[in-house]
Formats: sequence, structure tokens, C-alpha cells
Amino acid sequence: MSHDDIQHHIKTYIRVFMWLMFLTIITVVASYIDFDINPQFKSGAIFVGLTIASFKGYMVASEFMHLNDEKKMIYWILGLTVVFFIVCLSIPVLWDANLVGETNFEQSPPMIDGGHH
Amino acid sequence: MQIPYNEELRPDTGLYNAKLGIWIFLASEIMLFGGLFSAYIMLRVGAPVWPPLGTAELNIPMATFNTVVLITSSVTMVMAWASLKMNNFAKFKMYMGLTLLFSAIFLVVKYFEYSAKLSHGFTPAHDTFLAIYYTMTGLHVLHIIGGMIVNGYLWLPGSKMWETNPERFTNRVEVSGLYWHFVDLVWIFLFPSLYLL
Repeated sequence: MSHDDIQHHIKTYIRVFMWLMFLTIITVVASYIDFDINPQFKSGAIFVGLTIASFKGYMVASEFMHLNDEKKMIYWILGLTVVFFIVCLSIPVLWDANLVGETNFEQSPPMIDGGHH
Repeated sequence: MQIPYNEELRPDTGLYNAKLGIWIFLASEIMLFGGLFSAYIMLRVGAPVWPPLGTAELNIPMATFNTVVLITSSVTMVMAWASLKMNNFAKFKMYMGLTLLFSAIFLVVKYFEYSAKLSHGFTPAHDTFLAIYYTMTGLHVLHIIGGMIVNGYLWLPGSKMWETNPERFTNRVEVSGLYWHFVDLVWIFLFPSLYLL
């Protein structure tokens, strides 16, 4: 990497830093805005908050961690990790949707007969 | 025995070994924090009210300040690496010193945040929200401390390598930086998830 390349990178780091600061302020401000019809679920607020966080995360990963210009091997490792990460996050969501393990918690648990009378 | 591919790139991966190693380690870290985020979602969707009634109120200004501090430390970290790439060791020392200073500020703020809660009886055993809050932020704090130890080594005794093997030292700083940016990245998601939503 040449001296000029590094100088160019430094300008990018400063620009990303400004964006990250700006988006941090936006994240906090957005948390005080009511985006939801039903405030109990907060789905609108969660969507907005995590979308901004994803933008920030993308900037850190692509510019500071240089993922915008990396070797194929690293993309393969991260690609595989993302697959497992999605599976990991999906399990509770699917569980909550009662698609996995159809347990009816409202029923009383079965009596265990230990044979002690 | 000399460890191979410290500076030169391995022909099959196109990377020096430490860089491949740190990315595999970070992949495992993604799964570690991923598991905790998964547990957080599970607890949250399973609770009738979130956060539970009677739990501690988290300090948003303190956490916002810490977010700014950690992002700034990420910038100083990458600037430390860029300084070495430009053969400016004095600037590296300055930026790495600043990274350590910001890391210490983060920990001090976290100490005040924790102690304020614990002094009012808000321990991890108080409710599920505080349990996951302490687990996730506590693990993150441990990562900060780990990063500080490595960065502290590279700042002081480890920096002697710059005189004998500058390229290998620059690679060490890059690898340490990748870890540090990851710690920053985790906080970027922890902050809205725990404090704002």
C-alpha cells in the first residue's frame, strides 16, 4: 500500500468517524420518537434502531476492518458464520411462533409416578 | 523454529497467518455474542412487559457517551495502524496511547454505571432484563479488558519489534485492530438493543 493510498484511507476514516457520530445522535433521537401504532410491541422503534445500528456496523466492518477489499478466504469464513448466526437468531423466533416444539405450557405437567405409595 | 508466513502472504490463502487466525477467532466471537443476542430475543418476546416492571432504569446519557468514546477509540486504533504504514512510529505511539486512554474511560464510565445499579440492589438476580444486561455488557467489558492488555503490550514492551521487524509489528497492530473494531461493532448493537429499545 503506497503512501498516497494510506492518505486516502485516512480521509475515509475521518469521514466514517463523522458519520458514526451523526448516526449515534440519530439513534438516540429516534428512540424518543413513537413509531408504533401499538406502543406495547415497539416493532417500529426496533426496526429503526437496528437499521441504523446495521448501517454503523457496515461502515465499521467495511472501512475500519477493510472488509470492502479483502481476500476470498475471509469472505468464505464470514459467509459461513453469517449462515450459522442467522440460524442461531432464528431459533428463538421460530420457537416463539410455535413452529418448533409445540409445547402447550397451559396444560398442567404430567404426573410422574415414582411408584412410592 | 520460525513460525511461517508472519510477513509474507501464504500462497493458498493470500493472507499472513495471524490475519487468517484472527478472522477465524472473530467468527467464533460472532457466534458467542450471537448466542447471547438470541437469548435476549427469547427473553424479550417471552416477557409480557419489557423491560419488566420494577427493574432498573438504564442511564442513556452515560451509554451514549460511552458509545462516542468507543467509536473514537476505533478511529485512533486504525490511525495507529495507518501511522505505522507511513513509517511514523511517534504517531503510532500517540494514537495507540489515545486508544488505551479511551478504553480506560469506557471502563470507568461502566464502573459508575454498574455501581449505581448494584448499590440500589439491582443485581443480575433481580430480573431477567438485568440478568441479560449484566451478562452481555459484562462479557463485552471482559473483551475490552482483553483488548487493553494486548494493545498495552503493543504500545510498550512489544513495540521494540518495530526496530527489528517493522512489517511483522505492523501486522500485529492490524490484527489487534481487527479485534478492537469487532468489540466496537458489538457495542454498536448492544447500545440500542439494551438501552434504547
